Amino acid sequence: MTSNKVSILGGAALPVGKLQGLSDAGTQHLEHEVLAKLIVEALADAGLEKEDVGSMILTLPRPYTQQKYFATFMANYMRLPCDGLVMEVMGNGMTPALTFQTAVDQVRLGRTKVALALGINFETGTPAPEHMMSSMRATGDVDFHVPFGFTPISWYAMDAVRYIHEHNSSREDLAMVAVKNRAHAMHNPIAQFRKPMTLDDVLAQRPIVEPLGLFEVPGRGDGAVCLVIADEDVAKETGKPYVNVRGEGFYHEGAHQISEVPNDMIAFEAAQQAGAKAMAGAGIGPDDLDLAEVYAPCTIVEVLVAEALGLCPVGQGARQAASGDTSIGGRIPICTSGGLLSRGHPAYVTALYSYFEVLEQLRGRGAERQVTDAELGLVCTELGNYNAAMVHILEAVA
Amino acid sequence: MTQPIITTEGKRAYPPRMSDFTKPFWDGVATGSFRTTRCDACQRPSFPPKPICPHCWSDQVTWIDLSGRGRLYSATVVHAGPAVFAQDLPYRVGIVDLDEGLRIATRVLDETRFDQAVELVVLAYDDGPLYAARGISG
Repeated sequence: MTSNKVSILGGAALPVGKLQGLSDAGTQHLEHEVLAKLIVEALADAGLEKEDVGSMILTLPRPYTQQKYFATFMANYMRLPCDGLVMEVMGNGMTPALTFQTAVDQVRLGRTKVALALGINFETGTPAPEHMMSSMRATGDVDFHVPFGFTPISWYAMDAVRYIHEHNSSREDLAMVAVKNRAHAMHNPIAQFRKPMTLDDVLAQRPIVEPLGLFEVPGRGDGAVCLVIADEDVAKETGKPYVNVRGEGFYHEGAHQISEVPNDMIAFEAAQQAGAKAMAGAGIGPDDLDLAEVYAPCTIVEVLVAEALGLCPVGQGARQAASGDTSIGGRIPICTSGGLLSRGHPAYVTALYSYFEVLEQLRGRGAERQVTDAELGLVCTELGNYNAAMVHILEAVA
Repeated sequence: MTQPIITTEGKRAYPPRMSDFTKPFWDGVATGSFRTTRCDACQRPSFPPKPICPHCWSDQVTWIDLSGRGRLYSATVVHAGPAVFAQDLPYRVGIVDLDEGLRIATRVLDETRFDQAVELVVLAYDDGPLYAARGISG
């Protein structure tokens, strides 16, 4: 008799950094070689064998990855016959979360006992202005937004402006989120940006999308993650600590970037709805959580999603970064990995890093950044300007 | 209501596409009038104009004139942009709530503050029109 619970049993993640492009020796890092090593590492972490795996759900690689149809290529490269799905998933910034969810669903549907949720995002070989020629078409209406020059993070900047305007906040308040996350990343060996950073350092950077400067928006990075998803019966048999998916919620507000019917843009309704659904399913409230890893490309986004999920009172999210409420050791640690701003943001795999961080924390493997007695963690991901959100509640099983 | 037309040198950096359906919108913009579609069934306007009402999914829609006026909901100045907009940097973009209860996104030509009144203007480029918002004085 199956428990019907789905577990995360193991994982492996590449340190986020700049890997794409030619080395001095004229060689390159190739995506399939990098990912192959992670698959083996993740399975060893899970205590499983190659023969246990029956499905591979991959994030769609960036268009700069030369090898096309990457999922089937990897099935060959790893010589891995599967009777569960082998496929690639695409959903903008939510790509890795949809990948994770699809792997969970494969296990829940009984298509396989063990599925891999994995992916690689290599993009730093392409300069930002060129990269934005593509990304601007994902975060706006090609005919009614893009011609004016909106960039993906310009929408978040407009959230920041509105938040400061409505809550008598300031760029300085918001920037403390970046300072707090850097302090977390300093203790994360796979984080991209780990040097100490002060508020003055953040405020001194050149503007990117006003009022946000260089350190308040995500840097670009390459990354790769492999997670092992399994039926809880399999997880139990390994005798290792693992994490269960205890609650799930998804909501799309039926709008993209902006709602044509004027609304409260910074309420992040999708995060509210998805969070409420996930917490109701898990039978918990925000106060029960020990940590949260949220998808927040800019300082303001972490503030707004923390408020939408009920982790911080509305209007207080930024000040609670400054006060230590959302730091490790605080009331509700947010982005213990360093988040998108410091851990890094290889976008199509970013949320896989979020699940990986919570997996590590709930297994007590956070080392210097460990949240004491962490038992319940939340992962929130999004697309657009939080027009859709997906929330998972994860639970430690000793 | 006709909006001011500002002759703008050069071509549009990223020209919008035009369909048979949206052609009346862009033709209107070129002559200084802003239009959109309103649903015959539920009477709600939509923007961009659509052949199907997004609210009730009726396919019976009618073109209506817009006032071209609204309030600036938010805005930002972009300092790092896509390659085709390099010559415009830095530039201001924003979100405007039109008087008809529609939210749009466009360029903002001045330093208008939030919640202040703006009007839409036509930017008449060599290859076709775009539109933008600017503050209304007084």
